Amino acid sequence: MLEMIDICKVYRTDLVQTHALRDFSLSVQEGEFVTITGPSGCGKTTFLNIAGLLETYTSGSYQLDGVEVSQLNDFKRARLRNEKIGFIFQSFNLMPDLNLFDNVDVPLRYRGLKASERKPLIEKALESVGLAGRMKHLPSQLSGGQQQRVAIARALVGSPRFLLADEPTGNLDSNTARGVMELLQEINELGTTIVMVTHDQELARESRRNIHILDGQIHEENGRGEMSSSASAVA
Amino acid sequence: MFFYYLRLAALSYRRNPILSSLMVLAVAVGIAAYMIVFTLNYTMGGDPIPHKSSQLFAVQLDNWDPNTDSDPPQQLTYTDAMALQQAGRAWRQTASSKFSGIVEPDNPELRPFMFIGRGAYADFFPMFDVPFQYGSGWSADADANLEQVTVLSRDLNERLFGGANSVGETITMDGTQWQVIGVLDRWDPVPKFYDVNNGPFDSGEELYIPWGHVVARELPRSGNTNCWTAIGGSGFQAFLNSECVWIQYWVELRDANEEAEYLDFINGYVQEQKTLGRFGRPLNNALYDVNEWLLKEEVLPDETSILSMLAAMLLAVCLLNTIGLLLAKFLGKSAEIGARQALGAHKGSLFIQHMIEAGFIGLLGGLLGLLLAHYGLEGVKILLGNELMMTDWIQLNVPIVITTIALAIVSTVIAGLYPIWRACNINPAIHLKTQ
Repeated sequence: MLEMIDICKVYRTDLVQTHALRDFSLSVQEGEFVTITGPSGCGKTTFLNIAGLLETYTSGSYQLDGVEVSQLNDFKRARLRNEKIGFIFQSFNLMPDLNLFDNVDVPLRYRGLKASERKPLIEKALESVGLAGRMKHLPSQLSGGQQQRVAIARALVGSPRFLLADEPTGNLDSNTARGVMELLQEINELGTTIVMVTHDQELARESRRNIHILDGQIHEENGRGEMSSSASAVA
Repeated sequence: MFFYYLRLAALSYRRNPILSSLMVLAVAVGIAAYMIVFTLNYTMGGDPIPHKSSQLFAVQLDNWDPNTDSDPPQQLTYTDAMALQQAGRAWRQTASSKFSGIVEPDNPELRPFMFIGRGAYADFFPMFDVPFQYGSGWSADADANLEQVTVLSRDLNERLFGGANSVGETITMDGTQWQVIGVLDRWDPVPKFYDVNNGPFDSGEELYIPWGHVVARELPRSGNTNCWTAIGGSGFQAFLNSECVWIQYWVELRDANEEAEYLDFINGYVQEQKTLGRFGRPLNNALYDVNEWLLKEEVLPDETSILSMLAAMLLAVCLLNTIGLLLAKFLGKSAEIGARQALGAHKGSLFIQHMIEAGFIGLLGGLLGLLLAHYGLEGVKILLGNELMMTDWIQLNVPIVITTIALAIVSTVIAGLYPIWRACNINPAIHLKTQ
């Protein structure tokens, strides 16, 4: 499903070079729920952005669902993102001017679906996160947890095979965070592959597979409750 | 997606109303200033009779002082105008000139008043497609027989007869009775191409009579008369025989052949006159169609080009401001742009979305600019006043409105290219994390 081999990401300025990822290799299979942990600045988000085709990498190889992404142009990358990946962000990144219906509509618009095709998908997605009755509300009229649920509905509306979540519970209180986690687990059980970056060790422990990153490299992997130490975590 | 993007543009306006309104205002001020000057130039320099301007020709005969190299005169002498008129070699032709007189209304409640009239030949009306409200112009026979007939302007008919059909009525002018045979509809060609040297932006004449009366009655001339040599003798006949120019002469020629033949004819006429001791300069006769004539006579004052430059500079300054404001606005949307990229938007679609948003700002700026231009033109009319020139023609029309809107949209989209390019090339990853 996701296959990264020896990925390096170097940020260069005139004075310094920063290695955000070094020889990073990771394979994620369909249906997995993988959490990524590590201290701030270790490269978690860089990994997620590369995985989500929002950033390019300096060297290495990355195949998403069998497609080598390094040669894809902006148009093809956007299409791949739209069809195969759903994003959930820490700060929700909802469009403040658009109501819930229109927010969830955004990825379908870029897919070029007709209004008659989009409407049932949007209603179903909002229903699945328990917000079907608030379609005409603006994001500002919702609580943080509800906003994150909208973001999840938006990420899921196009039925992506792959969900990337960057600290999805980071801005939520513990009770709300628990609700969001349960929702993500339900989604995963229905077959969607999830990769989630989190600081919360508690949540990480609940996932079936946890990758700990340190200094741009996989430091250790904890799969299905069994600890293992590995610099490379190719499955 | 166009209407989706248009809706997003409207929502974006609502999100930042102050910033967006500043942009609209900047565009509106620049566009209004430019369009005021453009409207003046467009109307003053436009083709006043577009459907046949290439068939109407001002006749230039260079009878001027052979000892100077000054430009040829704009008008003809009585001798030459009458010679051309009597030859009748063009499809249509008319000598004409302005005169002034006094009308004595039959209505005892109206006092006698002065008017500006024009003496012309019968061809004047069909040549220049003069519209009639009632009746028509006179015939060639009326010219030949010096019939006492007259055509009134719509305004004069309004004044004398309350706008009623006055054909068949008589008016008293300079103590003589004249029969009304026609009343013009609204007719104010701008510029008044058939007499540009007597005020191209003056209002039209109030009354028309067969040209022969101007001479027969020695009516007071009301236009420029220029002479390069002293009049040989005294009295009106001496003036008529002189080299003084005071008559406008126009011909209608239907095609290039007729034009070439007519030029040959006037050259032949001048050669003949040379044998009589006139036309001391080398042959320098010409036919100018309406637009060539307006250009040659520099109907547009020099100041208009300076004004145009100033207005264009003001528009450029306003657009530069708009660039800055658009940059601030679009970069302020970095998180949204990043989110849209994450959700599947490619740079091309983001570019189009923001082009439409810039165009939307331009559209609003254009509409506000139109309103400002309208009031600006009203201000120009007040400044110029009807004493300096007739200003009723200064107004926005459909082509100008369309041009204004198009100019506003296009210029704002062009101004938006750099901000849009910057906004579409942000690193989405940074902005998604730091919203």
